[in-house]
Order: sequence, then C-alpha cells, then structure tokens
Amino acid sequence: MIGRDGVTGLVACAASLALFWLTIGLEKNPLVPIGPGFYPRLVLGITAALGLALLVADVLRRRARPRAASAAPAVRLNYALVALTFAAFGVYVLLLPLLGYRVATFLFVLGCSYLLEPPRRAGLWLRGPVLAALTTLATYLIFDDYLAVLLPRGSWTGF
Amino acid sequence: MYGLLWDALVGLLQIKYLLPLVIGTVAGVVGGALPGVTITMTVIIVLPFTFGLDPLQGLAAMTGVYVGGSAGGLVTATLLGIPGTPSSVATTFDGFPMAKRGEAGRAMWLGVWASLFGGLIGGVFLVAATGPLAEFAVAFGPWEFFSLFILALSMVAGLVGRSLLKGFLSGAIGLVVTVLGNDPVMGQPRLTLGIEFLEGGVPFLPVLIGVFAFAQIMADVEKMGGRGGLAAALDRAMTLSVSHGKVVWEILSRPALLMWTSFIGVLIGVLPAVGGSAANMMAYDQAKKLSRHPERFGTGTPEGIIASESANNANVGGSLVTIMAFGIPGDAVTAVMLGALTIHGIQSGPLFISQNPQIAYGIFAAYLLAHPIMALVIAFGARLMLRVVSVPKAALFPVVLVLCVVGAYALGNNMSTVYVLLVFGLLGYAMVKVDLPLAPLILGVILGDQIETNLIRALMTDADLWLFVTRPISGGLLAASVASIVFALWQHWRVEGRIRDIEEASDF
Repeated sequence: MIGRDGVTGLVACAASLALFWLTIGLEKNPLVPIGPGFYPRLVLGITAALGLALLVADVLRRRARPRAASAAPAVRLNYALVALTFAAFGVYVLLLPLLGYRVATFLFVLGCSYLLEPPRRAGLWLRGPVLAALTTLATYLIFDDYLAVLLPRGSWTGF
Repeated sequence: MYGLLWDALVGLLQIKYLLPLVIGTVAGVVGGALPGVTITMTVIIVLPFTFGLDPLQGLAAMTGVYVGGSAGGLVTATLLGIPGTPSSVATTFDGFPMAKRGEAGRAMWLGVWASLFGGLIGGVFLVAATGPLAEFAVAFGPWEFFSLFILALSMVAGLVGRSLLKGFLSGAIGLVVTVLGNDPVMGQPRLTLGIEFLEGGVPFLPVLIGVFAFAQIMADVEKMGGRGGLAAALDRAMTLSVSHGKVVWEILSRPALLMWTSFIGVLIGVLPAVGGSAANMMAYDQAKKLSRHPERFGTGTPEGIIASESANNANVGGSLVTIMAFGIPGDAVTAVMLGALTIHGIQSGPLFISQNPQIAYGIFAAYLLAHPIMALVIAFGARLMLRVVSVPKAALFPVVLVLCVVGAYALGNNMSTVYVLLVFGLLGYAMVKVDLPLAPLILGVILGDQIETNLIRALMTDADLWLFVTRPISGGLLAASVASIVFALWQHWRVEGRIRDIEEASDF
C-alpha cells in the first residue's frame, strides 16, 4: 500500500509524463534550433523524477516503519463544509456570466454566509441579506463605476 | 540619491499618494491584527482596488499594507495573547504576560515603537543597498540570471516545509505551470491542451490569489463550528495610555539589541521565502541567548518584545531589496507587488531603479512614511481593532472570496482568469492537504519564464554548458544553490534524528 505522499508522487509523475508525451511532436523553429520542447521536457522530466522519488521514499518509509496507531485524538475537520464551500464557489463562477455580477454575487454571499454559519436566530437571518447587498453594492460601485472594471453582465438577465 | 529620496518623500505627501498609503496601512494593520487573516491575504484583497490607480498610488497602498500588516499582529499578540500574524508569534511570549500583569499599554507601545525603529533601520538598508545591488546585477548575463533564479528556487524549496523532496516537487510544479502556452522565446504554441486561452500562458496573479486565498480560507473552514468572541477576552478596564518618552527610552537604551535584531530581520528578508515568521522567532532566540537574564524571557521582559517586533518590520525592508534589485519576490506579499508592477507594464529586475526612479524612490518613501502612519493608526485605533477581530469568519470569507473573483476578473476583463483562480484554488488546497509547501510553487510560476528565457539565450550564445559553472558569478551562485541544498539536507537530517531520538526514548 502507498500513503498520501505516494499518491502525490504518483499523480505528479503520471501528469508530468503525460505532458512530456505531448511535447514530442513539437516542431523546431529554424531561428531557435533548441526548439520549444527542450525546456518543457527538462522541467517535466525533473518533475516526473521528483514525483517518482516521493513515491519510492513513501514506500521505503512504510516498509521501514509500519504506521503506528496514533495515541493523540485526531482533530475532527469539517471536510463536508469545505466541499460545500468549494461547490458554492464553483456554482458562483459558473453563474457569473449567466446571471451577471450583481445577481450572482448577492446570491453567493447570501448562500455562503448561511452555509458557513447556519442562521439560528433572527440577527443571523438578517445579517446574510444585509452583508450580501452591501458587498454587491460596494464592490459594484467601486470597481464598475469608479475603477472602470466592466464586471460581467448576465446573458440570462441582461443585468 | 538622497535628493531623489527627498523629492519622493515630498511628492508622497500629496493627498493623491498619501491617501492610498494611509488606507493601505490601515488595511494592513487591521488585516495583521485579525487572527487567521495574513498579510498575504490582506494584500490580495487590496490588489484589485489598485488596478485603477497610477503605479505609485497602487504600490504605495501595497507598501502600506506590508508595513501595517507586519506591525498589526502585535496588537492582538500583546493584548489578547493571540498573534494576528505568524510574524508576531514571538511578541506574544513576553507581550501578553506584560499585559496580564497590568502593563498593557507598555507592552503594546514597546512593540509599536520597536516596529517603527526596526522598520526604519530596515529602511536605511533598503535605500542604501538596493541601488548598488541593482547596479551589480545589471552586469549579469543570461548565465548569471539563470543561476540566480535557480539559487532563489533552491533556497525556497529547501528551507520551506518539512520535506526537501516536497519543496522541490512544489517548485517543479510551478515551473510546469509556465511551460503551458506559447514558448516565451519565439512565441511558438506548445502544450495549450486545445484551450485557446492558454496560448498566452497561465497568468500568475490568479494563480497566486487562488493558491494562497483558498489554501488559507479552506483551512479555516475545516475548523469552523466554534464561536469567535475574541473581543470578549479583552479586559475593558485595560488602559493603553503610557509615557511614550519612557517606552522609547526603554528601546533606545538597548541599541545593541535593537541593531542586532533589526539586522537579523533585514538579512532574513533578503533571503527569499524565509519571511517575517522566521525573523521574529530567530531574533527572539538571539535576544534570549545574548541576554544577561535569559530566565526572564517569557515572563514579560521588554527585550523579548523589542527583538521580535524590530526584526519583523526590518524584515520588510530586506524583502523589498530583493524584489527591487533582482526582481525576485522574497515572499508572497512582494510576489503580489511584482504582479502589480506587471499590470502597470513595469518590468521588475535590475533595470527597475534606473528606468523608473520616481516609482522606485516612491516605494522607498512610502515604506519610510508608512511606519509613522502605522504608529498613528495603532494609537487611534487599537481598541477599535480589538472589536474588529470579533468579525465572524462566516461573514468575512464570502466577502474575501468575492474580492478574489473581482481581482482575478479585473486582470483581463474576462472570465478565463476567474477559471484559473478556481482551478488553482483547488490545487492550492489539495497541496496543503498533502503537505506540499506553496511558496516554491509560486516562485516557480513567477520565475519559470525567466529561467527558460535565460537558459535558451545562454545556450544560443554558446552551447557550452560549462559556462554556467566557469563564469565566476554564475558559478558562485550555483555553488550557493548546492550549499543551500546541502544545508537543507543537513537541517532535515538533524530534525529527523531528533524525532527518532524522542520516539526511541518514548519506547522505554
């Protein structure tokens, strides 16, 4: 069995080799005889070797010292919340060009604040929309109006 | 040189420059004081606001964030015993015990004044050393630049994180990011993976924002569920008033300590990636070793606060030297500043000072002015800041994420950079979970194109690879790279040995 480091090394090695494969067909430029593939191959070769070294080191370490049971109680981490936050952010990014900055940002800030701290009292129910409205309004006014950053308009909303 | 500096100082007092500097310093102090919000995150938040400003206004704001953030952590470190940033951890050791015994004002102001003096000592070094170092670097050919970048990358990979192998792998992944898209020498397409946007390569700012912001926010989200209430820990009766003359004398009557710990800060700042978190701990350790009363450290001795705070602000000066003389970011904050320069079409590197003297001296002036501004901000806002630290993360994080999106979007006014942000946000968090350090990745992304360009230029000029070793400066830099790797190996071997000894001892 391989551990976390081993998997990391394996993924790095495999991805590097896959990209290395793509450099093989690159055409050379007569002005730069070394070619555009020389440096990528060097970097990808080194990365693959480092990934492989990490994998081998992990296997050797596990053989030498089988994992002992941890005496200290593990801290419980809320990975579900992390996954949901990433998902909310992903949906926000996808909806930005469809709903436009103002609508998408309002919904994201509202949803994300409720997600990170579920509202259990009136104050928290109220905080979400106020925060979402203020964030959307302030950033829109500063960036779109003042700093001339043309924030996304929604293809669905036209807004 | 001093004429230019004077002109820059006077110029920066104009409201159009002073205002961004003050706002940046306030943001830095508040961001630094907020536990869980680093200076890097604060500078990332401030970055998009600088896009519409002229280069010096934007850089003045960022310099303010950097200086303010380096000092802001001391407020919560001394008054609440919670370091706002990693660079104020050592301040907690003596600052909080001093505050607990009823000398909160003395503890905080020792930190503020030590930050100011340390920062100004760093400023002297910044102004005096940057020009000569840049002049020295102007004589570099592609061999020397290649070797310099390799040295920076090997130092970062070796010194950051617990595993040398992982440090190098992270740096290599950063270099891989830069080989996607057209090659920087001839612009020939390669490894675009069929994505049109990649033809221009991967822009490094969304990478930096995604990696650092998500890694930090998600690491906090993992632990969410508890309640903040930091401000509740503040004793409302705590007085922050103090005799400033006495506090300043307490610091200046220890000139050797102040100079030595500031020097440590500057030196660590010059070295890429080591950063303020190491500077304050090393300076504290040195102050304790050199003290006639080491047993007093940890009980609320002023030397501990002076050492930690002077070092972490002097460290900022050192970091700025590296980016302004060589174009190599010393840490994530200077990496963002480098990005801001790029956005404004300014090329960093050894020619930066000679080609942009107004901006270069403007940064010096902003750095020097940010220190007294920082002291004023803390003087007027310390109590208010202690209220701000109770802002719930559930309210803070969505706003920060929106600002990250705006920052990425504003770089090209299109969604592609936002997708890059999302992808690298996921990568950054994944890297934290598998214990791969982030700093080498970022340095790899920043330096990748320059490493390639200089390598190809060198090989096209002369295909002899030995020139990298036989040219004195290039050879010296490569020797330093090898030395830094050997040092890192020795350090890792020593730590492993200690862990093994502890494990063996616990078996009996």
